[in-house]
Amino acid sequence: VDAKSLPRPLNGDEEAIKIQETYPLNCHQRFFRLTTHAIPTSQSLLARWHLPLGAVVHPLAEVPDGEEVPIVNFGPAGVIRCRRCRTYVNPYVTFTDAGRKWRCNLCSLLNDVPGEYYCALDASGRRCDFDQRPELSKGSVEFVAPTEYMVRPPMPPVYFFLIDVSISAVQCGLLEIVAKTIKSCLDELPGFPRTQIGFLTFDSALHFHNLKSSLTQPQMLVVADLDDIFLPLPDDLLVNLSDSRHVVDALLDSLPSMFQDNVNVESALGPALKAAFMIMSRLGGKLLVFQSTLPSLGVGRLRLRGDDLRIYGTDKEHTLRMPEDPFYKQMAAEFTKNQIAVDVYAFSEKYTDIASLGSLAKYTGGQVYHHPSFQATTHQEKLRYELARDLTRETAWEAVMRIRCGKGVRFTTYHGHFMLRSTDLLALPAVDCDKAFAMQLSLEDTLMTTQTVYFQVALLYTSSSGERRIRVHTAAAPVVADLGEMYRQADTGAIISLLSRLAIEKTQSHKLDDARQLMQLKLVKSLKEYRNLYVMQHRLGGRLIFPESLKFLPLYVLSLCKSVALRGGYADASLDERCAAGYNMMILPIRRMLRLLYPGLYKIDENLIKGPEDFEKSLKQLALSAQSLDPRALYIYDDGFSFIIWLGRMLSPDLVNGILGFDLSGFPDLSKLALLEHDNEYSRKLMRIIKRLREKDPSCFQLCRVVRQGEQPREGSLLLSNLIEDQTAGTSSYVDWILQIYRQSQSS
Amino acid sequence: MAEDLAGGVAGAAASVDPDGPDGVRMTWNAWPRSKVEASKCVIPVAASIAPIRASPSLLVLPYAPLRCKPPCAAVLNPFARVDFAAKIWICPLCFSRNHFPPHYAAISETNVPGELYPQCTTVEYAPPPIDAAAAAIPPPVFLFVLDTCLIEEELGFVKSAMRRAIGLLPDHALVGLVTFGTQVYLYELGFSDLSKIYVFRGTKEISKEQILDQLGLSAAGLRPGTAGASGYPKARLQANGLLPSGSVNRFLLPASDCEYALNALLDELQTDQWPVEAGNRALRCTGVALSVAAGLLGACIPGTGARIIALVGGPCTEGPGMIVSKDLSEPVRSHKDLDKDAASHFHKAVKFYDNLAKQLVNQGHVLDLFASALDQVGVAEMKVVVERTGGLVVLAESFGHSVFKDSFKRIFEDGEQSLGLSFNGTLEINCSKDIKIQGVIGPCTSLEKKGALCADTIIGQGNTTSWRMCGLDRSTCLTAFFDISPSERSSQPGSTNPQLYIQFLTNYQNPEGQMRLRVTTVTRRWVDGSANTEELVEGFDQETAAVVLARYISLKMEMEEEFDATRWLDRSLIRLCSRFGDYRKDDPASFTLHPNFSIFPQFMFNLRRSQFVQVFNNSPDETAYFRMLLNRESVTNSVVMIQPSLLSYSFNSPPAPALLDVASISADRILLLDTYFSVVIFHGMTIAQWRNMGYQNQPEHQAFAQLLQAPQDDAQMIIRDRFPVPRLVICDQHGSQARFLLAKLNPSATYNSAHEVAPGSDIIFTDDVSLQVFYEHLQRLAVQS
Ligand SMILES: [Zn+2]
Ligand SMILES: [Zn+2]
Repeated sequence: VDAKSLPRPLNGDEEAIKIQETYPLNCHQRFFRLTTHAIPTSQSLLARWHLPLGAVVHPLAEVPDGEEVPIVNFGPAGVIRCRRCRTYVNPYVTFTDAGRKWRCNLCSLLNDVPGEYYCALDASGRRCDFDQRPELSKGSVEFVAPTEYMVRPPMPPVYFFLIDVSISAVQCGLLEIVAKTIKSCLDELPGFPRTQIGFLTFDSALHFHNLKSSLTQPQMLVVADLDDIFLPLPDDLLVNLSDSRHVVDALLDSLPSMFQDNVNVESALGPALKAAFMIMSRLGGKLLVFQSTLPSLGVGRLRLRGDDLRIYGTDKEHTLRMPEDPFYKQMAAEFTKNQIAVDVYAFSEKYTDIASLGSLAKYTGGQVYHHPSFQATTHQEKLRYELARDLTRETAWEAVMRIRCGKGVRFTTYHGHFMLRSTDLLALPAVDCDKAFAMQLSLEDTLMTTQTVYFQVALLYTSSSGERRIRVHTAAAPVVADLGEMYRQADTGAIISLLSRLAIEKTQSHKLDDARQLMQLKLVKSLKEYRNLYVMQHRLGGRLIFPESLKFLPLYVLSLCKSVALRGGYADASLDERCAAGYNMMILPIRRMLRLLYPGLYKIDENLIKGPEDFEKSLKQLALSAQSLDPRALYIYDDGFSFIIWLGRMLSPDLVNGILGFDLSGFPDLSKLALLEHDNEYSRKLMRIIKRLREKDPSCFQLCRVVRQGEQPREGSLLLSNLIEDQTAGTSSYVDWILQIYRQSQSS
Repeated sequence: MAEDLAGGVAGAAASVDPDGPDGVRMTWNAWPRSKVEASKCVIPVAASIAPIRASPSLLVLPYAPLRCKPPCAAVLNPFARVDFAAKIWICPLCFSRNHFPPHYAAISETNVPGELYPQCTTVEYAPPPIDAAAAAIPPPVFLFVLDTCLIEEELGFVKSAMRRAIGLLPDHALVGLVTFGTQVYLYELGFSDLSKIYVFRGTKEISKEQILDQLGLSAAGLRPGTAGASGYPKARLQANGLLPSGSVNRFLLPASDCEYALNALLDELQTDQWPVEAGNRALRCTGVALSVAAGLLGACIPGTGARIIALVGGPCTEGPGMIVSKDLSEPVRSHKDLDKDAASHFHKAVKFYDNLAKQLVNQGHVLDLFASALDQVGVAEMKVVVERTGGLVVLAESFGHSVFKDSFKRIFEDGEQSLGLSFNGTLEINCSKDIKIQGVIGPCTSLEKKGALCADTIIGQGNTTSWRMCGLDRSTCLTAFFDISPSERSSQPGSTNPQLYIQFLTNYQNPEGQMRLRVTTVTRRWVDGSANTEELVEGFDQETAAVVLARYISLKMEMEEEFDATRWLDRSLIRLCSRFGDYRKDDPASFTLHPNFSIFPQFMFNLRRSQFVQVFNNSPDETAYFRMLLNRESVTNSVVMIQPSLLSYSFNSPPAPALLDVASISADRILLLDTYFSVVIFHGMTIAQWRNMGYQNQPEHQAFAQLLQAPQDDAQMIIRDRFPVPRLVICDQHGSQARFLLAKLNPSATYNSAHEVAPGSDIIFTDDVSLQVFYEHLQRLAVQS
């Protein structure tokens, strides 16, 4: 096999645009993608598909300007829904009886059209106001919900900060960066003037902060009784930001200096969480936890159970990747019940048991931000950006999400960060544009009788402005009796996104190797099935054949097996990084997932030296292999989370010194380098390229690290081990992998 | 007869210094030699002592005292026999011979050291410090504990009192602040960035160790990198070398350093923020607050004098020390409840405060209690800790009332107005053999130093010859009770000394912070045999006797269930009169008393009617308050508590003592009543009318203006010198406030005898017997055979 001829996704995610053409009334693919846009008509057909049947939902995906989801207010008519199955009115409903009745596309019930909503039908049976009604013409729409959709008045946006101020948090500089960043975001927190804010700092004791608006300065209230947590004040620990702005400013200004000499090494995270819960429980909101060390005191104290080499490969291996103390999961359940979403920012250079801490985010719709070995000098920009995005991005509060589908199919499993409230209701205390969810479908026993299956995603939430809303995405997919059609309509992006989540969940109950084997098995089985389908008729016996739609799948599965979350064993990734990667992947939208699995590699030295005016656009993505690397050149590697700039050994010193701002011949420590713009053309151009690449994905700040060719072990860990087409210790190269898959799919 | 009695009181009040230079007054100044004789004296042999009372003639000796050989260890005094040639002195208490040390070599009949001057029976030693550590003067320490479960107005009063206090504090005084309501807030004044407060749950008893742990002050917590001590700036260099731990700077700061911070804290201090449910009292955790304060002082400055100054505005309703539940339907315990043992929280609370007292005494710290509330706050329960530590107590109706405001200010004043607050006192009593010490009533704690001098029966703080007074001042007074128990040898005729000796040694840290030893040696005459009644009578001090009896029965009422004070007093008085009166058996008319006994029956009459015996007229808090002051005030002041003084002002004569009798009321007189706790100016009807018409403002009635002013001036004089500041009541005859006077008067005219009353005078609505009736009964019973 010629490596060069193997398929590579060098143009990013090529969404199945054709679906949009066939089903123009469907919601945009960015919100909802099926793993195959062809629903099998029977169980037996599904059994031959081997890949997961399901969907990836990204309910609040960011949209380009001009494509905003329209907002619909039905006013006194109330939200139009099917009486029986509660489906929302959508472009696929049909009107009959001269417009007085409408038929539900999911359950076929004939519903009355309320008087206020009545409209005559035209000759073709469509409503005359079809064009003016976004809910009848657009697959995505947002309804303003009347009071029946509220169990209480819409909550204000609430941001509560739980900040570790122990010695490590102070020394690595995170406290200062966090305080400054929060302060810089105060004007942009959504929901003015209703936004509420509060702080709790902790080490071996809890420090509450009284932010009462009548105070000139905040008051710090220390509670050191960890056994029996209580609040030191009935109010004023969570305050209206605009009323108490001066007190909040004063607190954020003094936080860093207040603790600058702190020598406390302890962390009473568990008690701090309980206290935060007591403060927030009445309203709900977002809880941002900043943790720099392993929780050491009080309830939720975690052991240095660490990364034990001997456990790898045994049937206890997966326990390392599971929360140790049920406290965190129980706490998360309480948080969710009270509409509190937890984001965990973890910074330690040592083991902090991300597996346990992350479960706070997992069950509350939150997110894990892992900044291992954080040092403000080099890492502050990333923290600043991500925290600022977390605080200022549009957030949907006290949300629940449900996906309805037509008869014959049923969603059975859900994967992502949420708490399942009933069999099909996802509780999301907070959700935003950076969270995607995956789910699997199963078929009912009976044969499908309809030709089309409809799906409707409904997210009921409170907007930051205090309005209760329902975001509804509706999509239709054909029912097929032909397996080939299922393969033709397969969506690799959705498949690998769902597979990745399944693989990560597998690592929480099995060995890493079992998870990898499972992925490989699914891939092999599906290719074998496809082969069986076509080999005979096309007489292609000796060749590996892919359906066109799945041509990148083998590479993505290989890449998944080589990802930080799944790769190798003990020595190949630290346990915390592995778990953090897992939590990360569980919420990734398809595009980011694909970027992470097959990162971009660009040669940019020529762009820096000559380069046409639009040199940023002319970047060519290269195969992820060491063979792509020329020692005379400069490359940038982008996995969506960080950039690696690789300096070839024989790269012109002028260029190197230009972009670094100093002479490389002195062998400086590049690991501490924070890349800045210097006063020369090379540097300016490089920074423009970096900026342009960052703009492609605003959800994350790609920290830029520079590595020289031959600089070990950094070159290996940062770049070479991520060149997934290459063979590394214990893993196959792309070519070997294809051969292996081929052999396995040949055998019977 | 009544005239005689009044004359007696006035005479005593007028005498310049009834306590003498030693500040020692005894019930008996001639002591019966035998146990039997002593018991026939009825009134216990006791001494009221003011261990460090101010004395202009006090001799201060800049060297260490000479002490008799152990176990006596009495200090050399003017009663020692000195053999100047042999350089030997003989201890008057134990008769041991002691050689003078070499540095006394120069003494002779003409060169006598100060402690041997005959008039210097009381001297004070101020020996130079042993080393630098001892030389360092510890600063005064004030830890304020403020109740915030108050209405806004009261909190405002507290704040302004505090601001005034802060302004008066010496710059080097260390200051700390605790506030409490539902929870306890301890302010870390040394935290410069913003106000930092440690918070403690109000419901939970918390040990000293837990407190220290939570504050990061425990041994473990002080290791770098462990519990608690987060967030505080690097400890500044020690202001003085005495403080054992750098952490003291976090919570106790020199006044000059934290004045601004304290004032800022007061500005922002709010009433307790926790909501109070309808039908409930505010949750107030006074007990935990005091525990925290005590724990902090114990960690920061053990052994160094310090005051916890608690301002409490209501009852403790949660946690240890709780005196009533938060439920308003449950009333605060009354004397009736206590009597019936129906006060469910009482014993538990007293036990808690008793333990707190032990802790504070161990640490050498004082609790001052300023209680201001319309309802009770738990003074009765807290009495033990205030009294055992030698703390001050003031009970007022409001923090805005002058009783609180002016008293509170006095603590911080220096110069002439200073209370002379001193710390770390220990009292030792040494006495001639044949005398045993039963115990002490007053603001002190037994150090349980048992010895041969301890009597078998105990009164008050007994079983010791040594007492701790964490706090004491120049008016502090203690009552020591003695037992006469002659050994066989001493009863042999001829071998005995006719004089007995008692030595009081008081070690203390004076207001300037220096350690002093006050030595008072007194001698009295022994009276041999029962024949010498005359000598006993001559040595009787009826004022002291009245006060000692009042203190003694107060103690018994507190300690003994079913103790009938009235009956006990009556029987004692009758026995005393039978023993020492002049009469023919069964002839009441023949009964007379020696002048030394003559007003004693009246004292007893008034004591029986006083708040000390008629406790049911008051709340347990008030009773506790009265008793604490009775126990710690001088004899002169205590007599006023038992039998108020009454002065009369009129045109016809200069101000003169008046009978404490309703007959003293007259339309054209002003009366000035001093009951110690209150001072009442009472205008007769006519005077009040003239005043209302404004005569005093007319030039031709200057004499009237002066008449009006005179009692005011005299009242102010009383108020100025007294701590706690008494309540001033100004009232008119037939006005509602007049009851403050009427309650104290002898009901010689009641509604039962109203027909005999002269126009312009007053009657008292009471069924109490009058002094005359009481006296008649006494005469009759005393002469009965
Ligand atoms: Zn329906
Ligand atoms: Zn002696």
